[in-house]
Amino acid sequence: MQAIGLIPLNRQLAESSVIMDYALMLIMPILYLICYLGINLSQTFGLPFLDACNSVCRLSNNLFMHLGAFLYVTIIVLSLYRRKNFFVEFETRLKEIDAVIKKCSKIAELEKIRVQAVKHSVSYHFTWIFVCCTFTFALYYDTKELYITFGEYAFIPFMVSSFPYLAGSIIQGEFIYHVSVISNRFEQINKLFEKINQEARLRNAPLTVFDIESEGKKQQKKGTATTKETLANEEKLANEMKRQKSKPAQNEDDENEFNSSEEEEDDIFDYNDGLMSENPNNTSEANLPDLFQLHDKILSLSVITNAEFGPQCVPYMAACFVVSIFGIFLETKVNFIVSGKSRLLDYVTYLYVIWSFTTMVVAYIVLRLCCNANNHSKKSAMIVHEIMQKKPAFMLSNDLFYNKMKSFTLQFLHWEGYFQFNGIGLFALDYTFIFSTVSAATSYLIVLLQFDMTSILRSEGLMTDIKLNSEASMNP
Amino acid sequence: MSQPRQLVQPLLQQFQELFVISKLVGVLPQDLEQLRQKHALEKSRNGMFYMLGVLVFYVLLYNLLIFWFGAEDTSLKASQSTLTFVIGLFLTYIGLIMMVTDQLTGLLNQGQLGELYERIRQVDERLYLEQCLVDNSSISKRIRVMIALTFIFEISILVSTYIKLVDYTQVLSLLWILTAIPTFINTMDKIWFAASLYALKERFEAINATLEDLVAEHERYRDWLYKAENKFSDETEPPQYDSNLEYLYKELSGMDRASAGKNKVAPIAHSLNSFGESVQEPRKLQRANTNRMINLAPESELSNAAKVEVKLNNLCQVHDEVCEIGKAMNGLWSYPILALMAYGFLIFTAQLYFLYCATQGQIIPSLFRTAKNPVITAIFLMYTSGKCIYLIYLSWKTSLTSKRTGISLHKCGVVADDNAVYEIVNHLSLKLLNHAMDFSACGFFTLDMETLYGVSGGITSYLIILIQFNLAAQQAKEAIQSFSSFNETAGLVGAATEIDNVSSTLYSLVTTMMTPISLT
Repeated sequence: MQAIGLIPLNRQLAESSVIMDYALMLIMPILYLICYLGINLSQTFGLPFLDACNSVCRLSNNLFMHLGAFLYVTIIVLSLYRRKNFFVEFETRLKEIDAVIKKCSKIAELEKIRVQAVKHSVSYHFTWIFVCCTFTFALYYDTKELYITFGEYAFIPFMVSSFPYLAGSIIQGEFIYHVSVISNRFEQINKLFEKINQEARLRNAPLTVFDIESEGKKQQKKGTATTKETLANEEKLANEMKRQKSKPAQNEDDENEFNSSEEEEDDIFDYNDGLMSENPNNTSEANLPDLFQLHDKILSLSVITNAEFGPQCVPYMAACFVVSIFGIFLETKVNFIVSGKSRLLDYVTYLYVIWSFTTMVVAYIVLRLCCNANNHSKKSAMIVHEIMQKKPAFMLSNDLFYNKMKSFTLQFLHWEGYFQFNGIGLFALDYTFIFSTVSAATSYLIVLLQFDMTSILRSEGLMTDIKLNSEASMNP
Repeated sequence: MSQPRQLVQPLLQQFQELFVISKLVGVLPQDLEQLRQKHALEKSRNGMFYMLGVLVFYVLLYNLLIFWFGAEDTSLKASQSTLTFVIGLFLTYIGLIMMVTDQLTGLLNQGQLGELYERIRQVDERLYLEQCLVDNSSISKRIRVMIALTFIFEISILVSTYIKLVDYTQVLSLLWILTAIPTFINTMDKIWFAASLYALKERFEAINATLEDLVAEHERYRDWLYKAENKFSDETEPPQYDSNLEYLYKELSGMDRASAGKNKVAPIAHSLNSFGESVQEPRKLQRANTNRMINLAPESELSNAAKVEVKLNNLCQVHDEVCEIGKAMNGLWSYPILALMAYGFLIFTAQLYFLYCATQGQIIPSLFRTAKNPVITAIFLMYTSGKCIYLIYLSWKTSLTSKRTGISLHKCGVVADDNAVYEIVNHLSLKLLNHAMDFSACGFFTLDMETLYGVSGGITSYLIILIQFNLAAQQAKEAIQSFSSFNETAGLVGAATEIDNVSSTLYSLVTTMMTPISLT
């Protein structure tokens, strides 16, 4: 990815030569611009300038090329704008969050649950294989066809046809990765909340009320004390992390191609030390203030992430939309009627279909993950409400916990109004977006399919004897 | 200075250049002298008459313009492209309507506008007492940039159109200059709105920053406590001076530390009125500074529930007041904004449609001649859409910033982790939740980015439909022409459009509907 010039080099290192990093980012865009301008100015090496390319083919190819240029240029400009310090900041914040999560899960004795939780479902791997296959197929098809047409110069037209879409998808992949990290943290927090919830159910016995009075106070003290222990704990945790690194990781390797080595550590959470004894007095509600802060921190982390990647979503979604509509249009109005007559025309229509499919898959994954992250964050508030309703023992001691939880849920209400994954506010990145785009696409398609292509096709000599057939298909 | 006890620089001070221009072209009727002296917008009878005169003058001139250039449109009527003609007819007056709305609203609201800025000033004072100053100087920079951009766009569109597309051999073609007036006046009016909105956004940001600073300060305090528990260190605690010496100490050595400290209280030194209030200022500054000094030896306000209650309460009240101001402002500008959005939507669609018509070699209405040149069209569209999008974006951002306050408030609660503070925070948070501020155009639609998304979708679909109809009409016309060569009666219909307009439109409608079948 760094080679394609979408991310500054050494993104994890705060200090490194700035010029070197950003210069590397410029290589690919400059190459692309040379190819793009070269094709459009010298009028060679481009599909539209071949004799075999008829007017439909030329139009659609031009559209594809210019749309790609629009996509690529906006994305590159936005990623140049996005500085390295985003990555640095993301990582540091993530580390902070992870440290607190580890501390909390230690208190909550969650390690046993954790062991099972790391495994990813079959659908997760299936998705990755599927996406990889789609991309390989798309790239393979494009290069093959271009190689047949242009021979060894195929690289130049490839740069303007498929490459921008590939680059856009990679950026979206990065977005997907970051969102999945965030979503993962939300899940972990939810587990911790759930643990408190379960304990609340167990400890609801009225007999123990007297004990709890003192216990509640103890815990309250502990709650304030834990925050002070943070610094000391961090050191311990760092040691622990090192120890774990040396251990062979027996977890499922859930890493995708974008994951860094740091990410691998984060996902390993099983403390198999066995040193921690099952102490019934050790309670996890001491975690609550930390968890609330964590939730807040993760949400602000997602605000940063969204600010970085949201703007890049907009051109990508727009390109996906246009390519899909024209893909369907060309497929039904041109390819369905005159397929096999002209190889170049077929190539262009298939290119549309393939890339519309690929971009749609990526867009869908983005939407799904954003929706998931949103749901996870919502779930925390739900769990907290549940805890509040059960009136567990530790709440009886004083109002503090009640007020704390109330404050948290209220804050979440504010967050809900303030933030949602979105593309610069134009649309929310969740399933409603799919609905709105599909309905828009339908209305556009209805209008577009009214276009009368037959006369054009006939004038290009693609359609002679099947006039009657086409008439039948035109007037349903 | 007529008002001796001004704690803060009034916002209107930044608006002076803008006001002079608006006064001159007749956007606002208020008194110029009052603004210069008292920094307040006051009603002015003379200004009202001047503005009414200007308004009537513009309307008359614009009608003259339409009359003069409308004479060229006879060929358009004859050419039978009904759709283009009707769109042109509808949109002839939209610019004028927009301008008249702006000016009439300006006239009607002349008293309330002054009150609005007075309220903003009061808010500033209250914020100042809470030790957060809002820096207004960036607003005047923004206003200047916006005015400069307006001039660049207007002049480039006007000059390029005049040179390229208007027949400037005739003297009356100078009337074309008038086409710039409605958009210019409208832009001036919207710059007022945008700048005031930006000012509100800054107020919200200042409130948020104060809250965040409270949190950061408390965290520092906690760290300090934590350290102090481990070992007592002298470094973190600055030497204690009495309050007068503290100021000196700060001046001499503690500048950096103090600026890194509590609130980012920007020194008020840049204000012009510090000359007149030299006795007043330093005392205030000192008060703020002593507070900072005390805070430097980490003593968080959040650890004191009573103090924090007052502070948070005040901040929330200020937030409420800013929200109310925002609502009032939205009310004042609701009709102009609605007019602008309608104008933006219609003009954007029409311009693109006419651009398409021009590329197809069809005749377009003479008032939309900018569409004949793609570059001028691009500049024009950028100007129009930039105006609309900036307003929408700013409203959206302001509304988001106001929502952010609740989150920052809760951060205070979480970091203090104290029962009393939690109770205060919860109470205030509910209050804040009910103060949702959303900008809307007369309540028809909210001014946020989602509306923009919907509008852009609308423009595209209308454009596609318009182009479709245009294509169909062209094909119908061709069909008529080929038909008339065979049939004399059909030729009569084609030629006698002026007499038989209704029947010909009917005829073209029928052919339009039949084209998909008949032409395949």
